[in-house]
Amino acid sequence: MVLSVQGLYKSFKGKPVLEDVSFELGKGEILAIIGRSGAGKTTILRCVNNLVKCDRGTIQVDGMYLCKDDGEKSNYARQADMLKIRKKLGLVFQNFNLFPHMSVLENIVEAPINVFGTPKKDAEQKAMQLLEMLELEDKVSSYPFELSGGQKQRVAIARACALNPMVMCLDEPTSALDPELREGIAVTIEKLAQEGMGVLLITHDMSFAKRVAQRIIFMDEGQIVEERSKDEFFDNIENQRVKNFIGDYA
Amino acid sequence: MSRNLKRNLIVALILVLGILSLVGCSNNNEEAKQEDSFEKLKEQGYITMGVDDTFAPMGFRDEKGEIVGFDIDLANEVSKRIGLDIKIQQIDWTMKETELNSGNIDVIWNGYSITDERKEKVAFSQPYLENRQVIVTLADTDINAKQDLAGKKVAAQNQSSAVEAMETEPELVAAFDGGEPVLFDTNNEAFMDLEAKRVDAVVADEVLAKYYIKQRGAERFKILEEDFGEEEYGIGFRKQDVKLLEAIDKALDDMKADGTYDEICQKWFAE
Amino acid sequence: MIDYIIRLMPSMLSGLQTTLEIFAITLIVSIPLGILVAIGRQSKIKPLVAVLQVYIWVMRGTPLLLQIVFIFFGLPIIGITFDRYPAALIAFILNYAAYFGEIFRGGIESIDKGQYDAAKVLGFTPAKTFKRIILPQMIKIVLPSIANEVITLVKDTALVYVVGLGELLRAGKIASNRDASLTPLVMVGVLYLVLTALLTVVFQKLEEKYAYYQ
Repeated sequence: MVLSVQGLYKSFKGKPVLEDVSFELGKGEILAIIGRSGAGKTTILRCVNNLVKCDRGTIQVDGMYLCKDDGEKSNYARQADMLKIRKKLGLVFQNFNLFPHMSVLENIVEAPINVFGTPKKDAEQKAMQLLEMLELEDKVSSYPFELSGGQKQRVAIARACALNPMVMCLDEPTSALDPELREGIAVTIEKLAQEGMGVLLITHDMSFAKRVAQRIIFMDEGQIVEERSKDEFFDNIENQRVKNFIGDYA
Repeated sequence: MSRNLKRNLIVALILVLGILSLVGCSNNNEEAKQEDSFEKLKEQGYITMGVDDTFAPMGFRDEKGEIVGFDIDLANEVSKRIGLDIKIQQIDWTMKETELNSGNIDVIWNGYSITDERKEKVAFSQPYLENRQVIVTLADTDINAKQDLAGKKVAAQNQSSAVEAMETEPELVAAFDGGEPVLFDTNNEAFMDLEAKRVDAVVADEVLAKYYIKQRGAERFKILEEDFGEEEYGIGFRKQDVKLLEAIDKALDDMKADGTYDEICQKWFAE
Repeated sequence: MIDYIIRLMPSMLSGLQTTLEIFAITLIVSIPLGILVAIGRQSKIKPLVAVLQVYIWVMRGTPLLLQIVFIFFGLPIIGITFDRYPAALIAFILNYAAYFGEIFRGGIESIDKGQYDAAKVLGFTPAKTFKRIILPQMIKIVLPSIANEVITLVKDTALVYVVGLGELLRAGKIASNRDASLTPLVMVGVLYLVLTALLTVVFQKLEEKYAYYQ
């Protein structure tokens, strides 16, 4: 188990966005959370990555508590532990959020060198390995504005991988891509899982989820409606809300 | 208007009012502690003389950047006689009384005409130089008397005694083109405007006017016989500095008696 | 004529020196101060934000000349006395820090919020985020506005005449009054033009340096 979320609640300005969300992610597993926009998918991702604080609930990353519910509220980890937890998490943003003033290599080595104190040589060596794996060797010294959407995404993945995370989160990985690039990103995600990472991806792209995920969670109005292995999920759609959703997007 | 902005404006108003009341209070204190600073000046060994260093020929900078002029020579001679060094501080002429009263300078001494209005703000030494507020025009104009200024543009230096002198004849000023004099930062600018024929006449201290005309060629200008009154140059002191004033007055008396004063006049105003 | 210009040079250059000193010191101090003002404006500490808003309002809402007069002649009334030179410098620094602060704030606010998220998930502290991610991007954005402000500063230095400091323009006026001639003022104009030309080139180079990305 690399990620465990239990009883997560979050509301914005009194409006509940997440209600009692619980799920787990295993080592090397690919889990897709699907649902309409506004269903709370992105908020889960932001809670797991500590970009927003949850109201209630417990989140555990590779055995460490990011936050722990004491029955009344959720208590967050101390600053020192937080950095260790950060290192175990990788996040690829929907629009990548690369640093435009840094080259591809600098984007990847920035955090290892300047936050985690990795020696420059080691960080660059690791970055080169990642770029090779993602077939971006020739873009080492390019700047983000010179890259295509797919290339940017792979740089963002490389950047997130540079800290050797246990959990890799991807927010709508196909939304900014041409359809013909979907297979490429699916293969990449599978590679990450083979390396041992748990992959949590958020998407409203049913066919992509079907292609890459091993397990699927369907969310609606802040709650988990269905959680099944992929084959069960698609072979056996009973829930009316899931049916509606698939009907809309298929 | 957002609540935030409103609250900040209120905070700002309170701050401004607070500062104003502070300033008000301390002004009162200031009036209470008026004492003669002569002993203090003697202790420090020098007095500070406020000079507008653009004021040729009374006090100005030569090409080497040294401050020279009639007033400077006079002051140096006085300095020897009263046993106090003189430090020259250049000032902005429009701020001269403020500089004096805030203690940044101890005397205003730079072609400073004695006027009733100024007498309310500062104490004057004995007059040390006669001066007239003369009317200068270009040589070829038909302005020959004061009355001819009606309907014409008349220039002067801002905050100068020329302006005060003109104000003693309000009907004439009202008859100027524009109903008031055109004011410039320096006399030089007023004269340049005269040469450019945008103004028809300049009213200025005689010594300054003569200096300018000499520089630009005397034949191109004329000085009318009529003027805006005689006046005299004096040295301005803080009102409470009676001892310093008396010491300098005595030095001036001595210099007039023994001929030193005439020598300095000769040097600067020989025709 | 050439002779005359050569004779004028020493006094002009000494005026120019004062102009350059005020210019350089103001710039060196007010730019970092402006960054602090910009950061402070975005702070969560409400009283600090309110104080900074009032500060910016006063500095931008009153003429610089008035601020110099107030600091030199006004503050002694409440017991704070500065010499001429420091008084002028303080006024310039406070005034320009307010303008720079607002320019920097605009630059910071125009940076995509996603950059902060990206930095946060990579473990950056807020200070490191600002230094490594926000500041370099902000500089590129604000350079043209800063260039404008800096060139205005060159000319604003002439205002120190009000506390009796002799800068370039005053040196020109002195010579112009003494010699009843316009030539010194023309020289002053040329010197200002040379200064602004140099600054324009410097800022062009800087903009080119930051043109490597979009």
